[in-house]
Amino acid sequence: MTGLQFAAPVDTTPAVPTVPLQDTVLLPERIGELTGLDGFGLGGELLATFIAAFIVGNLMLAMTGVAGPWAKRKITAAFTDRIAVNRLGPAGLFIILADSVRLLSKELVIPENADRPAYDLAPIVVAGSALLGFAVIPMGSGIHLADPEVGLAYVFAVSGIASLGLVMAGYSSANKYSMLGGLRAVAQNIAYEIPLVITGMSVVIFAGTLQLGEIVAAQHETLVEIAGISIPTWYAFVNPFAFVLFLVANFAEVGRNPFDTPEAPTEIVAGYQTEYSSVYFVLIYLGEFLHIFLGGAIIATIFLGGPAGPGPAALGIVWFIIKIWGVFFATQWLRSAVPRVRIDQLIEIGWKGLLVLSFANLVLTAVIVGLIA
Amino acid sequence: MCVRFEASNVTEMNDWIAIGALALVGVLIPFGMMTVSYLLRPTVPETSKRATYESGEIPTGGTRIRFNIQYYMVALLFVVFDIETVLLFPWAVAYQDALAADIPLARALGPMLAFVAILLVGLAWAWRTGAVQWARTPRQLDADRP
Repeated sequence: MTGLQFAAPVDTTPAVPTVPLQDTVLLPERIGELTGLDGFGLGGELLATFIAAFIVGNLMLAMTGVAGPWAKRKITAAFTDRIAVNRLGPAGLFIILADSVRLLSKELVIPENADRPAYDLAPIVVAGSALLGFAVIPMGSGIHLADPEVGLAYVFAVSGIASLGLVMAGYSSANKYSMLGGLRAVAQNIAYEIPLVITGMSVVIFAGTLQLGEIVAAQHETLVEIAGISIPTWYAFVNPFAFVLFLVANFAEVGRNPFDTPEAPTEIVAGYQTEYSSVYFVLIYLGEFLHIFLGGAIIATIFLGGPAGPGPAALGIVWFIIKIWGVFFATQWLRSAVPRVRIDQLIEIGWKGLLVLSFANLVLTAVIVGLIA
Repeated sequence: MCVRFEASNVTEMNDWIAIGALALVGVLIPFGMMTVSYLLRPTVPETSKRATYESGEIPTGGTRIRFNIQYYMVALLFVVFDIETVLLFPWAVAYQDALAADIPLARALGPMLAFVAILLVGLAWAWRTGAVQWARTPRQLDADRP
């Protein structure tokens, strides 16, 4: 299972049953076979890989396209007893097209004191880095781009790149609100990154691997059976405490309510994105939504069994999308229902509350697993 | 597949090629959008609209001034804890295997507990000295004093 070997004192037979690999055929290979590109040597393989990456990238882009201009408005409207967009297409769905044309055709106004290369690069960093994490997420129905052994560590690493983009945006705009927003974003990310990773580690203790395909496969067994319905060993059921901690740390990490202080509209206009207009604004906005979905994808993968669900395995992608939209819905719910915490409260919750709780969770999980084994 | 190396090597390589391909897509999409926007948008140069936004007022002073960034100590603490998580990951991966290989619990768990305890002592120290607290202005401190 792992590359690490232990010298067993007496018994040398492997005591841990090897977990069956899920999704052993990854998407690039499958596309190579389907299109016959695998017959063209290395070039064909690279092209198949690129096509697979293009599919995954655009799937996520389509989801943010639905979420940003349409679902967000509709959900908020439902919470505040309004109707929101309803003129174009069924339930106002065509607003997505209208809005994308509207936003892209806005004039790009660049503030006079902007620090140019950084100002232009920041939106690309924010949008591009958010997409990277989806490479290792098993989405079911064979949509799984890559499954490296360090999967979980990789996801945490690339989702941290966005804070670099945010501080670039905040600093290079030469605007006081942007500056405050960028600094707040960093303060928040470093306060909640540790609880997030430490809580994710308590899942690794159960699964014994960082490979996301195997973490999903390890959640297939039956935990308990209540009245004929078998509850699977999703780690949200095995360790609900860790699930709640991870959920809270994740909301803070992606900067959503009640932790949306970096762009608090009532305090600092729009934070790091104050000076961004036109396509740059679209890219930063897109990056934020991709981040919410990446957070949802991590939660779904390590706590909610990934693409697992009732019905045939081909439905995996449907269940996966339902799960990450569930997390998105939760962020919008909190946006409408929970007041924002102050920045000093935010830092205290992170360092004095969540960090201590996440270490308690890790140590308790390790001790309980050790005693049961 | 046509090109075959050692079975484990090829999948491992392909994984990172696929991640690289997604990185390429992640750069191409923003550039594509910027190109479309470049073709669509108007450009009406005018100096006053490029002024830094400050609630519609004429901006007072620059942005690059000295101020308390508040979390300098926290950033140092973050580095320590972040390295700790990196060091803990191999332990978390190997823990179940170690237990299954009949390694006594004290040997499998003890070092990790000691490691975490040392760092938590550090956190307790930072907590007591007020490093994980939002810094307060002298005026606020005066107001707090009984």
